[in-house]
Amino acid sequence: MSISAVSGIAPAGYLDALTGTAGTAGASAVTAPTQGAGFGTTLAGSVDQLQALQATSDTLAVKAVTGNLDDIHDYTIAASQASVAIELTAALRNKAVEAFSEIMRMQA
Amino acid sequence: MGAFDAISIAGSGMTVYRTWLDAISDNLSNLSTVRPTNEPAFRAKYVVAQSVEDGAEGAGVKVAGIAQGSAAGRLVYEPANPLADKDGYVRYPDIDMSSQMTQLIMAQRGYQANAAVVDRARETYQAALQIGRNA
Repeated sequence: MSISAVSGIAPAGYLDALTGTAGTAGASAVTAPTQGAGFGTTLAGSVDQLQALQATSDTLAVKAVTGNLDDIHDYTIAASQASVAIELTAALRNKAVEAFSEIMRMQA
Repeated sequence: MGAFDAISIAGSGMTVYRTWLDAISDNLSNLSTVRPTNEPAFRAKYVVAQSVEDGAEGAGVKVAGIAQGSAAGRLVYEPANPLADKDGYVRYPDIDMSSQMTQLIMAQRGYQANAAVVDRARETYQAALQIGRNA
């Protein structure tokens, strides 16, 4: 299973767009956003971890079909970890896109 | 891994119980392995489990090693056996079948308990993913 398509959002282009809108609003009271670890960085990190989990799961799947699997549960556990992690990443991504769309719908 | 600690800890338990099952299986299969008296008897295998101390909440369990039972075994008078010595004795392994069967149940239940923990932890994490989904 390839998830490289998901990492396309990692550059956090939309985050830059978000911080850009603060300036165009013209509100002088708005403080400059602190440059901590942005959501994009966090998401990129979790995508990397997700890829590692998928790789582990794939390696064990190959071991299972070639008869080199020592522990059945190692594979099933890796598979369910990867599945929960992908659900989590998808949930985060969906929430972020939802929030971005909400901001895009804003009108004066 | 952090988020999946409960799952990987239970996984380490499953590995230990699987090793225990293997050892019991070996012991039971060699229950009637007869050897001549000038050789050591088949030695029973005992799995030595050790907790992994990593952080306050621990990090599961591992197999520290396999201990071996008595090499003396027990001498049985079987003059008809081709392996018998001049006095008619052969060496049987010193393995108690009922004890092995009891351990078999314990190993099976232990494995199942850890599998239940894996499933329960996965369900728990999925409950967290449902937060805010219907908002």
